[in-house]
Amino acid sequence: MTALDTETAFAAELTSPPRPGRTGKRRRPRWGMWIALVILALFAFLPLYWLAVTSVTPNDQAFSYPPRLFPTEITFDHYLKIFRTPAIFRYLENSVIVSVITTLLSVAVSMYMGYAFSKFRFRGRKSLMYFVLSSQMFPQALLLVTLYVVFAQFNLLNTYLALILSFTTFTLPLCVWMLKGFFDALPDDLIEAAKIDGAGPWRTFHSVILPLAAPGLVASGLFAFVRGWNDFMFALTLAGPEKQTLPPGLVNMFITESSTAWPALMAASLVVSVPVSVAFIALQRFLVGGVTAGAVKG
Amino acid sequence: MTTTDVRPGVHPPQPTADSSGDRGNRGSRLSDKSFIFFLLLPGLVLLLAIVLYPLVRSLVSAFFKESLIYPGMTFVGFDNILDALGDDFAPLLGQTLIFTIGSTVLSFVLGMALALVLNQSFRGRGVLRGAFLIPWLVPGVVVSFLWMWIFDGNYGVLNGVLQQLHLIDHPIAWLFNTDAARGALIIAKSWNSFPWMMVMLLAGLQTVPVELHEAAAMDGAGSIRRFFTVTWPHVRGIAGLVVLLEFIWNFQHFDTIFVLTGGGPAGTTQTFATEVYDTAFKGYDLGHAGALGLLWMVLLMILVVVYVTFSERGEKSATAEKSERAVKKEKTR
Amino acid sequence: MTTEFSRRDMFRFAAVGLGGVAFAGALAGCSGDGSGGSSGGGSGAPTNFSFASWGMSEEATKPTLGAAIDAFAKKKDVKIKTPSYDYNDYLNQMTLQVRGGQFAGAAQLDVAWASGFAALGKLKDLSSVASGRGYTSAALKAGQVDGKQIGLPWTIAAIGLITNTEILEKAKISKPATTIDEFEDQLRSLKGLGGGMIPYAASTKAAQLKDILVWMQTFGSPLIDGKKCTIGDDESVKAVTWYKKLYDDGLIAPDVDRAAARTLFAQGKTAIYDDAPVGKAGVVQSSPDKDLASKMSSMARPVLADGDTPVEVLWGHLVTVVDGDGADTAAQFAQWLTSDEKQTLSYFSKLGLPPTTKKALASSAVADDTFVSDFTKRVTANASAEPLWKFPQYGQMETEIADQVQAVLIGKASPKDAMKAAGEAVQKLMDA
Repeated sequence: MTALDTETAFAAELTSPPRPGRTGKRRRPRWGMWIALVILALFAFLPLYWLAVTSVTPNDQAFSYPPRLFPTEITFDHYLKIFRTPAIFRYLENSVIVSVITTLLSVAVSMYMGYAFSKFRFRGRKSLMYFVLSSQMFPQALLLVTLYVVFAQFNLLNTYLALILSFTTFTLPLCVWMLKGFFDALPDDLIEAAKIDGAGPWRTFHSVILPLAAPGLVASGLFAFVRGWNDFMFALTLAGPEKQTLPPGLVNMFITESSTAWPALMAASLVVSVPVSVAFIALQRFLVGGVTAGAVKG
Repeated sequence: MTTTDVRPGVHPPQPTADSSGDRGNRGSRLSDKSFIFFLLLPGLVLLLAIVLYPLVRSLVSAFFKESLIYPGMTFVGFDNILDALGDDFAPLLGQTLIFTIGSTVLSFVLGMALALVLNQSFRGRGVLRGAFLIPWLVPGVVVSFLWMWIFDGNYGVLNGVLQQLHLIDHPIAWLFNTDAARGALIIAKSWNSFPWMMVMLLAGLQTVPVELHEAAAMDGAGSIRRFFTVTWPHVRGIAGLVVLLEFIWNFQHFDTIFVLTGGGPAGTTQTFATEVYDTAFKGYDLGHAGALGLLWMVLLMILVVVYVTFSERGEKSATAEKSERAVKKEKTR
Repeated sequence: MTTEFSRRDMFRFAAVGLGGVAFAGALAGCSGDGSGGSSGGGSGAPTNFSFASWGMSEEATKPTLGAAIDAFAKKKDVKIKTPSYDYNDYLNQMTLQVRGGQFAGAAQLDVAWASGFAALGKLKDLSSVASGRGYTSAALKAGQVDGKQIGLPWTIAAIGLITNTEILEKAKISKPATTIDEFEDQLRSLKGLGGGMIPYAASTKAAQLKDILVWMQTFGSPLIDGKKCTIGDDESVKAVTWYKKLYDDGLIAPDVDRAAARTLFAQGKTAIYDDAPVGKAGVVQSSPDKDLASKMSSMARPVLADGDTPVEVLWGHLVTVVDGDGADTAAQFAQWLTSDEKQTLSYFSKLGLPPTTKKALASSAVADDTFVSDFTKRVTANASAEPLWKFPQYGQMETEIADQVQAVLIGKASPKDAMKAAGEAVQKLMDA
């Protein structure tokens, strides 16, 4: 057992991310960096600023031209209305359920697959790898036409399961390849050592490899979460009105035959993006750290 | 396909001093067929059911006259495919590549720049790393509407700002000019995807040993040269993966184009994805849509084969390098 | 130490895989909403049914429509499910559902979609519920495909020219133009008002550029002649040349679709735009000008030569019934919703959607609404279905035409070449 422990510690050291680069050691003022940062920040945040401004603009002023960059008249009506619209919270709940289960399932499926691709050589391996990577290469609009019929036959339409299974599958290319890269970075000696201790392959994987891969699992999980969170077309078609997630829900609510309730749409988008953004900001350390260990190569 | 031996790892197990090497070999027998099979099983089940069956079914459509609304199908051989390869194919492919390459390159450049900046140490870096993720977390369909709202030719904020800065004297219909519309699409798509590029690349950057940078700096290498000689080899692998996936996703991308330009002006921003959609859901022609999908898949397939071959080669050399390093590390203890 | 996955292994894996899917399906069991294809039983007791609409997803119509649905449910003591999708996704979603046998019941439908939806072959013939209810014959005709009454007319109007009388007066236009030449002159005087005025917010965005078809007809092109598409003829080329002139002279603007036109109109930045009466409520509500409602009027579409009949294109909603569970009660609902006098009049007074029965149209509620009654006389009276609608794939035809017209507008192609290409593309889709 002790042998295993030291090996674990050794591997942890090997795979933990090197300390963040301290490349800029007060050599000279980093003008280039600051200018780049300002430009990138403007690009990233100005649209968000405009989204926020629009969300507090009264309806009859939303279209005034030239637009008021700094609003003179502010209303929180759109927000109040959202909090009085139970449907939005049902969509939010659905989105969270679907995205969270997708995340868990996707991580579980990809870690096994990634491990197989990383640590074993078997016939058909390369073809399977091609297949995983290429599984997102066909027009989704067409897949949907058939998938709808398939789910209908299995009576899975209008269920969370239809969405979860689809989204999980669509996350496989990224998650499997990411985790494969992660496992590649773990030394094979670990597996050998576990075997020496008499651990079976499953135990080796679950109690030796997986704990070391935890940050990577979190990272790929977050990517899976965003996939489920963002999808429009599949969510709209497969989920039905009761299980509708946010993207189609918002469209259904604010975009009508030929007009768009811009301020309300923007307000709702902000409201629903806040919880997930906060969670990601809290997790970002983990996210970057998690990809790191697996990022030695793709 | 080429290697058929089953054993953990790419390189031979490290020889060990005691006799346990034997036991190790015996242990690996446990990890053959059935273990691999069960590792792969859940993923394969999903891929077969959710992707392969619908995919094959749609590819079959490419050889039939099949409608979304009328029942029945008639075999037409290669008619649909020849038809899809007609006059419209070259412009459609060109337009698709402009959008796909443009969006992939722009989001990669922005993501890389941001990753390099956020890899420096300064106050507030942690918060910025999180805050820059927000564009990625706004639901994709909202992103499309947000940019439509910004670029609108009659009351969009972009025109408002430019006019207030006196850069233009009357509102410009961005989406009504082929080049501007293409640019707008690329900008909108890149805004949504550069944060995840940043995350992946930042992770890659963190694998670059600081000592290497310092050594290179002492040798008098400028920052650009350091980037290419020191940084790039370490992020190459992850960069390859994100660029490939982003390329495939952009090829597939539909929402932004559909909302922002609807393929216009004059169909000059139409891509495979929007064309397939129009053919299947407006023209109800599954046969033609399937043929377009088939051609599209063949094109992307070439790319994937190139990528896998390339990355496997890279993997071998990287693994060799890594084991060397591991050995060195062992020695220093 | 070699693992070879034989072909048999692969099959075994595949079998296990499919088994897994089947298992998942069994787990989900009856959670689905399978309302299969069994045709609705006898016409005896009322049964539960579904009513699909986009009306229930739009804030403006939802309360009124919801109340009507509740009223009917209460009256018949049944439950009505109300799946809804936004207008833009509605047809696709319903097509997939009906095709997959997943939907039965009543469904709202745009008049333009009738032939495509009917082609699915699942719609109930509603002739029996349509007769004796006093629908106008024009309205009934809007719900017919190949002589079969596939839908009951819920609201019927047209897409006509809506005007802002105040702006017209400012430009010293006392009487709306009757001919195209006069119309163009008037647009020029409107342009003369300055201030970024867009005289006529005609559609120029791809999604709505189909509006140009009615101008082609006005110039004398039939669009469809038997089995032949006539786009590319002199008349259609003249129409597009004229449109291009308006565009170049700033009389119409780029980047305009129906939504943008409504916005511009609400902002007082355009004097004329194309819309159905249904648009009025939204325009008035989003306008900073609280008196806009009283300034809104309509005009007949100008004609080529004095004395010609204006060409107008039909607009409206139908209620169709997809055969299956609850179809009979759904048909009764469709009949009630579209022709019960009290119901249609309350619908009109709350939403401004013109009713379809002679009696309701003659009622004081409708007659006293000058905007709608004027519109009905000037525009709807001459409205007919767009010729392309009889082809299910009309949506893609309109896209092809829109692309070519845009090519002309941005100077990429000459009207003659572009219309020839458009005509050929449409012809190909017709023959498919």
